[in-house]
Amino acid sequence: MSDFVDPVTGADALGDPSAPELGAIETGDRGGDGSRTARDDGAVNKTGTTTVGIATEEGVVVATDMRASLGGRFVSNKSVQKVEQIHPTAVLTLVGSVGGAQSFVRTLRAEADLYEVRRDEPMSVHALATLAGNFARGGPWFAINPVLAGVDHEGSHVYSIDPAGGVMKDDYTVTGSGMALAYGTIEGEYDREMSLADARDLAVRAVEAASARDTGSGNGVYVATVTGDGVDIEGFDDTAEALTPR
Amino acid sequence: MQDNQQAYDRGMTIFSPDGRLYQVEYAREAIKRGTASVGVRTDAGVVLAADRRARSPLIEESSIEKLHRVDDHVAVASAGHVADARQLVEFARRKAQENRLRYDEPIDVETLAKEVTDYIQRYTQSGGVRPFGVALAIAGVDPDGTPRLFETDPSGTPYEWKATAIGGDRETLHAHLEDGYRADADLDGGIALALETLAESGEELDADSVEVTTVDVESGRVRSLDPEAIEPHLTDLDIEVDDE
Repeated sequence: MSDFVDPVTGADALGDPSAPELGAIETGDRGGDGSRTARDDGAVNKTGTTTVGIATEEGVVVATDMRASLGGRFVSNKSVQKVEQIHPTAVLTLVGSVGGAQSFVRTLRAEADLYEVRRDEPMSVHALATLAGNFARGGPWFAINPVLAGVDHEGSHVYSIDPAGGVMKDDYTVTGSGMALAYGTIEGEYDREMSLADARDLAVRAVEAASARDTGSGNGVYVATVTGDGVDIEGFDDTAEALTPR
Repeated sequence: MQDNQQAYDRGMTIFSPDGRLYQVEYAREAIKRGTASVGVRTDAGVVLAADRRARSPLIEESSIEKLHRVDDHVAVASAGHVADARQLVEFARRKAQENRLRYDEPIDVETLAKEVTDYIQRYTQSGGVRPFGVALAIAGVDPDGTPRLFETDPSGTPYEWKATAIGGDRETLHAHLEDGYRADADLDGGIALALETLAESGEELDADSVEVTTVDVESGRVRSLDPEAIEPHLTDLDIEVDDE
């Protein structure tokens, strides 16, 4: 508690930088049986997952597989949308505990909306990534490892957020159990100057490669394209359908 | 004391039958008893100037602080109860850092002003507390390079100004600002207008009894002028020596 108290509510008048403004849920401790961490590590739906984000001069593209599994051993859902819009020009992928990731998406969306209505300008992608990192580190979300991708007045940005709150910006990034396969596809092919259409194909092929060999990934692809004009998300049961016809 | 005020001017802030909050109005009176501070915003930046003349020659004038740095890009001038001002300045400093922690970006001046006024407002709507007896002029340059100047009052309303004065003699000082204001003035022009306006309150100004702080658009940073830097501005204006 700070020295500054709201005399009406008795609450701290200063905010906690790692707590959501709204919809705070129980903050379980990070260890021990029965804590949220322990439960998230147990038999809950996990996204297994391969999620890819690629930045180009024209915008960013994000591709995600569509499989939810129990420990990568049983396919519990074959049509999961693992990329969600959280901001007028930014998206977040769901990686890790499905419950944690879905709650994380809802909270960041509310934060981005509040920021924009209060300040009359959208959050920068860097601000969004910082907040996401704070939440992952100090908030009630543990078993998540999303990709955050978006466009703002400074250009295109792709970040990975790790479960301990690490925030890393890159030209392209992959998270999830199929990451090594997807990185192998992108490595050597990426070029910052490449077109958005080429980046989209590269992201889809990366998810396709991971789907072929990673038991936690598969069942098609969702593709999100983000430019300064907004977000477009499409789903394909067959990854081949997502590729640009040549 | 008029009859119709009865008990509405005592204790907690409650409405009088004619819709007035006497405690808030009294807080505004407390501000009028303070010496003036002036804020001037031009295209080149924002200038704050304050009169810190001491009541006794024994006091160290440097210990009378009316201008406060809040963050790299925001400064605050106060008029009224100094102790109340210090609380709000500290609150503003913490809010500015909270924004950096939360978003890793400097807070914009409007958001900061509204955070402070929202806090002030809570002290007009709660039992057992009194309103803040202070007005602040919050000056800064937004992260996108826009110069901004806000005022807070004891009701918790934020106002944005091109130029304003807080504290005593406000009407006189405002009249002078209205006559002399030019948005396209450079920073020195802004300093000149702020000092001229301060001199309108009738007292003799000297470099030791005046505080000047600027936030210029070019650097986006707060700069406090020391007396040696203020001196030439006073000499240029020829207001240092009063025609007594």
